[in-house]
Amino acid sequence: MFTVLLIVHGLLAVALLGAITHQTVSVWSPARKPAGSFIGRFRSVPATSYANAIVVLYLATALLGAIVYTEYRVVVRVVLEQLDMWKTNGVFELKEHFAALGLGVLPAYWYYWRTPLLGEHARTRAVLTSILAFVVWWNFLVGHVLNNVRGFGS
Amino acid sequence: MSTPRSFPVFAVVFAVAWSVAYVICVEKNYALFTYHPALYEWGLGVQKAKDGPAMYWFGWMATSGLFAGAVALAACWLPESLTRRLWSGWSWAVPVAVMLLFCYLLRGYFLR
Repeated sequence: MFTVLLIVHGLLAVALLGAITHQTVSVWSPARKPAGSFIGRFRSVPATSYANAIVVLYLATALLGAIVYTEYRVVVRVVLEQLDMWKTNGVFELKEHFAALGLGVLPAYWYYWRTPLLGEHARTRAVLTSILAFVVWWNFLVGHVLNNVRGFGS
Repeated sequence: MSTPRSFPVFAVVFAVAWSVAYVICVEKNYALFTYHPALYEWGLGVQKAKDGPAMYWFGWMATSGLFAGAVALAACWLPESLTRRLWSGWSWAVPVAVMLLFCYLLRGYFLR
């Protein structure tokens, strides 16, 4: 069962990664004219429409991650400690704390992306989006690396 | 969907209180409950590891959530003349500071 949950957790994380990356790029470098190139189209998405989906995806990914974490704590972490893989354990510790801190900023993130967008909150909106983007990227990469370290299904 | 006028106050104060409470809960181990993953058992408060490791992460978040929720709700009752001056940037400045603090607190993992 944990294997299925891990795969769904990974798939949700991919969707979240795509959404938050689109939004972050579009908020820091919005397209000023109709986009022709791939990069131009990437940053010309309607960023506002991503906010609700990002909140839902973040909550769902975190919930599944929390369930999978219980298995990780028994099956993976103990082995990493026995192998003295301290850096690997350290990046995972950061992953769990960053994920928790991301949960705390979700209400503010959601509020500052509500329409109509107020110009006076543009910086807050951009930085909150960037924080979530950093957390999602960090957690995705660390989760991926840790999965590779231990070996899928081992 | 309309939100209460005080929601921005709630959101900003919640982000700040959650971040501060979470790092304190982690450092002082103020977990509302403990999970024993090897036994599939939950226990109230901080419990020592039984047959296998003990997980406090869920308990830290629960404690932080209760604290932050209470503080943020209390802030909503403050007069508008006070809350109007609340800088929205606190909602990111404090979490970023706490993230950096965690990097410092966990440096031992990377310096061995």
